[in-house]
Amino acid sequence: MSASKVKMRDRKMKNQPASVQYSSPSAAAGSSSQNGRQEAKDSGWQRNPPPRTGWVRGNQRDGGGGYMKEMPKYITAGAFARSRAAEVKAMLKAVTKRTGSNHVFQALPKHMRRRAMSHNTKRLPRRLRDVASKMREKSLQAGSKKKKELPKSKSRKARRRHGNLLLEFNRRQRKNIWLETHIWHAKRFHMVKKWGYRLGDRPTCKCYRPCYRAMSSHCLLLDISYYCCIELQGEEDTLLTALSQLTSKETGPTFAAALCLSGCRQGSVTVYRAGQYPSHPLGPVTFLWRPRAEGSASRQLWIWAHPALKQDLLPELQRVCECFEAVVPPVIPVATPAESASTLESEPKPEVSPKAKVTPGGKRKRSRVDAGGPPAKKILGDGTRSPDTPVTWKSSSTGIVINDLTMEMVRYRLVGPQSHSVLTESLEAATDCDEAGQSQASSLWWPQHCRDERKMNLHQQQAEVFKTLKGIYSSGEVPPGTVLGLTVDDPRLTLPAKKVKAMPSVNQSQEADEEKRRQLMLRGVPQLCSQSCLWEQSVRDNVTENKISEQELNRMRSELLIPGSRLSPTPLQGRIPILLVHQPGKQVGNDMSSWGAGWDLLLPKGWGMAFWVPLVYRGVRIAGLHMSLKRSQNQGAPHFPHDYPDCPAGVRFQEEQEAELLDKFKRRPPAKRTNYIKHGCLAPFRCPWQQLVEEWELLTRQRGDGLARSTTKPKEEEMTPQPDHTGTKPQSVFTVIRSRKSLRLLSAWCRLPTSRGQRPGRGGGAPPLQQSAADAFLASHRMSVAWVRLSLLSKGKPELHAMVCAPTPEDLKLLGKRDAGTCPQEPPHRDDFKSKTKRRKKGSKKGAGPLQSSDYPGTEASEPFVYAEPDLVLGVWPDPLPSITSHCSRVTLGWITEGDFSLSAGCGEALGFVSVGGLLNTLLSQPEEHRGKVLLRNPSSLHYRFAQINIEV
Amino acid sequence: MGKKQELRIKNWLISFIMDPVEYTLRKRLPRKLPKRRNDVYVNMKTDFRAQLARCQKLLDGGGHREICVHGLGLAINRAINIALQLQAGSQGALQLAANTSTVELVDDLEPEDPDESGEPMTRTRNNSAIHIKVFYPEP
Repeated sequence: MSASKVKMRDRKMKNQPASVQYSSPSAAAGSSSQNGRQEAKDSGWQRNPPPRTGWVRGNQRDGGGGYMKEMPKYITAGAFARSRAAEVKAMLKAVTKRTGSNHVFQALPKHMRRRAMSHNTKRLPRRLRDVASKMREKSLQAGSKKKKELPKSKSRKARRRHGNLLLEFNRRQRKNIWLETHIWHAKRFHMVKKWGYRLGDRPTCKCYRPCYRAMSSHCLLLDISYYCCIELQGEEDTLLTALSQLTSKETGPTFAAALCLSGCRQGSVTVYRAGQYPSHPLGPVTFLWRPRAEGSASRQLWIWAHPALKQDLLPELQRVCECFEAVVPPVIPVATPAESASTLESEPKPEVSPKAKVTPGGKRKRSRVDAGGPPAKKILGDGTRSPDTPVTWKSSSTGIVINDLTMEMVRYRLVGPQSHSVLTESLEAATDCDEAGQSQASSLWWPQHCRDERKMNLHQQQAEVFKTLKGIYSSGEVPPGTVLGLTVDDPRLTLPAKKVKAMPSVNQSQEADEEKRRQLMLRGVPQLCSQSCLWEQSVRDNVTENKISEQELNRMRSELLIPGSRLSPTPLQGRIPILLVHQPGKQVGNDMSSWGAGWDLLLPKGWGMAFWVPLVYRGVRIAGLHMSLKRSQNQGAPHFPHDYPDCPAGVRFQEEQEAELLDKFKRRPPAKRTNYIKHGCLAPFRCPWQQLVEEWELLTRQRGDGLARSTTKPKEEEMTPQPDHTGTKPQSVFTVIRSRKSLRLLSAWCRLPTSRGQRPGRGGGAPPLQQSAADAFLASHRMSVAWVRLSLLSKGKPELHAMVCAPTPEDLKLLGKRDAGTCPQEPPHRDDFKSKTKRRKKGSKKGAGPLQSSDYPGTEASEPFVYAEPDLVLGVWPDPLPSITSHCSRVTLGWITEGDFSLSAGCGEALGFVSVGGLLNTLLSQPEEHRGKVLLRNPSSLHYRFAQINIEV
Repeated sequence: MGKKQELRIKNWLISFIMDPVEYTLRKRLPRKLPKRRNDVYVNMKTDFRAQLARCQKLLDGGGHREICVHGLGLAINRAINIALQLQAGSQGALQLAANTSTVELVDDLEPEDPDESGEPMTRTRNNSAIHIKVFYPEP
C-alpha cells in the first residue's frame, strides 16, 4: 500500500470513537472464531471491513477476488449482531456526545451560521433553538456560581479608598517585595519578578536610544534599592583578618586598601569562599568603610551585594566572623487599628507627626489639622520579613556584629556625565535651624545635631564641597569612588513647577572656587567630609519616622501667602542625611574612558519617592534592569550574575535562563522553530563551560603528548577528544581567571603587536608569546576560562550564546582580502534526531489514542519506541552532548554571554568567555598580523564573522 | 618657592619613583568645557574627511558665521590642517585666528600591589592646545 493511502486511512480513522476495538486481521486470523471472521468477510459487499491490507478502495486484485471465493453460506444472527454491537454503541455515543466547544451553532455548516447567534437564540434554526436556550441557561448559571464563590468585591470607589488600597498593596507584596518607587515604575515599566523583588525591566515606551544618549551625555536614573546591604561592626583589625580570608590580593585591592579603609573611597572586590581562592568564587561586592571616629577603635563597614549573592554571602560572612548568635529583635506590640496590616512591619512606628491623630468618628469631615495617619501604613523596608526574624548576629569571641540592612536604605544610581548637575540642582544642603528650634526640646534629630558646634562645622565643609561640585563639567572628573556625606533639605520643597533639564553651570565659578575645584578633582573629597549621619541607625529611624506626608506638605504649601513660593522656614522634619558615592565609569581599555561615570545616592528608607520625583523633574531618563545590563556591557564591566558562571548565583541564573529560553522556544510552532541541530549549535540556551574546559584540557594534553612523540603532526586532526576520557580523571570545577597578573599577560598576548597606543615601555614586561611561556601559563590555569571582549571587524550583530571559534589559516587569508562579503560559512549539519523526534511524537499520540501503532502492519511498529529519551525537543540537541570543540568545522573556543550592536563603538560588540587553553592554542598558531582574530557565529546562523579579541585589565 | 614649582618638583619625583611594574597609569579625560554648537573638538580617531565635512557643513548650512576648531596634543596638527583646508576651499572668504593654550591633564597612578603601603596618586601634566577661529569677516 502506498504511503498516501496510509495517510488517508489514518485521517479517516482518526475520528473514530475511542471505545471501539476493531478486530485486527492478525488477531482474527489467529483466533479460534473462524466464524466471526467469515462473517466479517461476508459483509464485505456492503462495507469494507477493517482490512488486512489497509484501506482499499475498488476491486483489488487479491482482495477483490477474496470476496467471491469466501462468501459464507449462512449467518448466525446472534454472533453477527454481537460482533457489531460494540461498534453501533460507539457510534451512537459519538453521535449524541458533543465534542470540543459546546456552542450549538457549531452544528450548523459554516454558510448557515450568522453573526451573534450565540447570544440571540432566535437567529438559530428552530430545530436548534431549544438546545441552545438550554445551553445558555446552563452557562449563565455556571457563571453566576463562579462569581458567588469569589468574595464579594467592593465597589471600585471603596476599593480605591486609600486605606483599602494600601491593604491590597500590602497583600500583593507579600511574595515579591516592592521597592519604594514601585507604583511609579509599575505605571511605566514592564515589571518582572526577580530575586524576590518586583523590579522594572524596561520602560513601556520606546526609549533604547534615548536611554543610551542619556547615559553618554546627560543622566540616567536607576533604582537599585534591591541591592542588599550588610553591616559589619567591630574592631578594625579583627574585621580585616576575618575578611581577608574572603579575598585575594591577586584580584586587586581588597577590603584593606588604604584609601577605602579611610572611608573616603568606595571599594569593590570579588569575594571567594573563605580561603578557597582561586576556586569557589561567590561574586562581586562593593564596600564602604565608615570614616574613623575619634577615640573609638570600632569600625563600621557596609558591604553592598546583589540579592542573588546575599544567600551565599551572608553565611560565609557569619562563618569568617564567627557570628552565630542571632539577636532576636524585641517585638513591641504595636497599637494599630484592627484592620491594619502593620503587624508585618519590621519595627513599630509612632504616628507620622505628633499632632496627627485619627478621629474615629469623623471620617469624611476630618479637619485639616488631623488629616494624617492612614489606617494601614505602607510597608517600609522588607515587609515580607516576619518581625521576629533575626537580622543581627553577634559573636562573643571576635566581638563582630553583623547586621542585615536589606531594604533599610534606598539607593539610586545616576549614570552619565551630568549626574552631578542633576544632584546639585535637585538637592540643597540643609539649612540650620534657628535659635528657637535649637532651644526647643524635640524628638527630631536635626535640632540636636545643630547644637553640636563640631558637627555643624563639618556640615559647613560638606556643603562647601557640594557647592564646588557644581563647578565641574563631567562626573568622570572626580576621582573614582569618592564618597561625600551630606545633610540636605527635603527636595520636595524645591520642586520646579515644570520639568527642566539640569545643565552644568561652569562659567560662574570664580578664582577661589577654581582652586577648590582643582583640589576636588585631584584629591577628591576630604576624608572628613565622607562622614554622614546616615551611618547611625537611630538617625535613620528618626528621619524615616518623622517624614512629612505628601498631604501635609501640600496643605502647608496651600497656606502660603504667595502661591508657588518656597516654604519657609523649612519644616524641622525635612533634613535628611544622605551619602553620595561616586561610581567610576569605564576604567579598562583605551577607548571611551570614564564612560558611564555617575553617582549613587543613598537615602534612609521611606524617603524614596520624595527624592525620586525631584530627580525626575530634572530631566533624567529612567531605566530598568535591561538598561543596567547594557550599561555594564558598554562599560566593559562584567554584570552580575550574567557574567559570573563560576559563582553559585551565576549557575542558578544560567539554569533559570535556560529554562526560560527553552520554554520560549517550545512555545513556537515546531515548523517555525530554528533547528539548532542543523545549524551545528549544540547548546543554544546554555553554555556548558565545564565540558568545554575539560575538552580543551584534554586537547592540550594530547597535543603536548603528540609534540613529544612526533613534532610534525597536523593539529586539526587531533582535535577530536573523547568525552568519555573525562570521566576517569578527578573532577575539578572550572574557574574564571581574575588574577590581575595573569590577565595582564593574556591581554598582552592577545593584542596586535603593532596596535596603536601601545608603547614599548608599558606592558613591555610581558614575555613574548611562545610555546614555552604558554605552557607555563597553562600549567597554572588548566581549568580556566577568561572573560573577553570581542569587537566585530565587519558587519554582524552578535547574539546571546554565539560561538567563539578559532579561524583556520584559509579563513585568515579571506580576511586579508578586505572584502566584507566574504566570511567563512559553516556547512549545514544533518538532523538525525528529527525523524526520531517526529516518530516519538506520533507514537505518544497513538499511545493515548485508540489505535496502537502495532496494529498497523504498514507503519514501522517493529522498531522500538524511543521513550528512552524523555526530553527530545525538535531542533535542540538532546542532553548528552557530543564533543563541543570539534562539532563544527571550526574549533569552538567559548561562548558569548552578552552581545549587541554597541552604540558607543559603532559595531557589534560582545562579551563572553573563552577557554584559556583554546585561546592560547589559537594565538600560538596565528601569524603575528592576525593575532587575536577569532570567528563569531550566532546560534541561528551559518555565517562566521571575524572579531578581534580583547582582554582588558 | 612657589606652589607651582613645588608641584613640579613633586611630579618630577613621582616620575622618578614610578616604576611601570609597581603602578598602573590611568589617564583621565581632559577637562571638558561647555560646548556651543559651533565648537568642533578635533580628535585623531574620527576620519579626517568626516571632520572637515562637519566643519564645512556648520559654515555652509549651519548658519554660523564663525566656528571654533579645538585641538589638543597630537590633534593640533589636524586642527590646523582642517582650518587651512576650510580656508583654501572658500576662495579666500574665510579668515583664521589662532590661539594657543595649555591644558592641565590629570593622571591617576594606581599601585599594582594593593597593599596598605601603596597609595593611589594623582599627578598633573600639561599639554598644548590650539583654538582656531574660522570666520567670515564682517563686511
